[in-house]
Amino acid sequence: MSSADVSNGLHEELEALALRNRARAIGVALHDLETGLRFSLRGDRWFHAASTIKVAVLLAVFRAADEGRYRLDDSLHVRNRFFSAADEAPFRLSQDRDATPELYAAIGRTAKISSLAHAMICGSSNLATNLLLEFVGVEYSRAVLREAQVEGVELRRGVEDHGAHEQGINNEATADGLLSLLSAIRSDFLTAQSKGEVIRILLEQRFNSMIPAGLPPHATVAHKTGEISTACHDIGIVYLPEREPYITAILTEFDPDTEGRRETVAAISEAIYRSLLRTDQ
Amino acid sequence: MTTEFLRPIDGLHLAEEYRGLLRPGESEAGTDGAVHPLPRFFYEIGSWEQAHEIRLTPHFTLAELMLVDCREARLLLSQFPHYVPCAILLLARFLEDFRREVDAPVFISANGAYRSPAHQIGGAKSIHAWGTAANIYRVGDTYLSDSRSIQKYRTIAASLGPAVFVRPFGREKGQTSDHLHIDLGYVRLTPRECGEAS
Repeated sequence: MSSADVSNGLHEELEALALRNRARAIGVALHDLETGLRFSLRGDRWFHAASTIKVAVLLAVFRAADEGRYRLDDSLHVRNRFFSAADEAPFRLSQDRDATPELYAAIGRTAKISSLAHAMICGSSNLATNLLLEFVGVEYSRAVLREAQVEGVELRRGVEDHGAHEQGINNEATADGLLSLLSAIRSDFLTAQSKGEVIRILLEQRFNSMIPAGLPPHATVAHKTGEISTACHDIGIVYLPEREPYITAILTEFDPDTEGRRETVAAISEAIYRSLLRTDQ
Repeated sequence: MTTEFLRPIDGLHLAEEYRGLLRPGESEAGTDGAVHPLPRFFYEIGSWEQAHEIRLTPHFTLAELMLVDCREARLLLSQFPHYVPCAILLLARFLEDFRREVDAPVFISANGAYRSPAHQIGGAKSIHAWGTAANIYRVGDTYLSDSRSIQKYRTIAASLGPAVFVRPFGREKGQTSDHLHIDLGYVRLTPRECGEAS
């Protein structure tokens, strides 16, 4: 089957899937490194990035280490006090909303930058994210994205910054943008050692109910999820032993309290996988 | 190991690379514009193990008062010897008094006691560069992260002497909201065996 046929079929299937699952919007981007196929369904639509923005912070953290600004085994003071991007008012994160309680136990002491990077991605720790972003800086991180030629990812603030949210200052991304972010990670933008470490961290993701749930058991996925009240995303690099990997970004938007959001992302992941099998034939 | 093993060093005799970071005896204007000379005399610490073993008072080791993160200058972070101002003994003594009053373990945060003038937080303008300030983030099981706990322990700390300065709770400049800042002022200590002549 030709790439054009696959793209057309996938386009129709995903539109029907979104409608059936009452998604307000979906944005999907795909780059298959086996066939070169590129696919984008509303890939330029902006979504609230939710926790997928942590991958941008991860890139900046490793880039700064590559530049010799610090070492990954250096330690940072663990402190739950941050300053709003809106007015610099201090705010604190809620431990109840964080999947890494062990990091809260370290408040007052120090944690290694490498451990914080791991907690930020694998446990989606908001505390680790804000500590790292405060350390490397929003402006530096934005500069890294520009340097890596990542467009379509707007990093503006840390997470749980409600003051900034109320003023419309949010982290936003498009599916195409997040796909280019993952592509930058796979490129030579980082040193080989940092690239390997970043991918290893993404492979150790703890939340696997979206992209991986739509794949056969022998697939491994280096990925990052993101969920807030209306957004449900997963972006990742899918590794299958029988072929070259593919990169995909699946962004969805729902009315609050809509059920089956993760299942929708998993179904999109499955549809992508099946469509690529057809190109392999 | 106790304080008898501490060896005072005249900072002016240190290697140039250390003098450049520690700036012994140099004058520095604080955030309020007032000028104070930075510490000149230091204790030389050979290793982290030694810092953990040196008990300044019954409940405080030197290590607790010199824990910093990677915002500290690289030379003062990952290599030994390290240098701490001699006035750190006075801080430890105050903390021991405070601990006796509160009758509970007192926890000092990372970056919360001595930081060199080259530290990225505050630098030479911070009173932490004198080794006479401490940020207490926890007393017993209580994390000092709200008005009630900070005001409670602030009152106790302030009662320990007129030279003790304690920042009030608040979210403005000069206030704290996730720890209790105490300091003893810009105290410099000249050990008996050291002379001030350059």
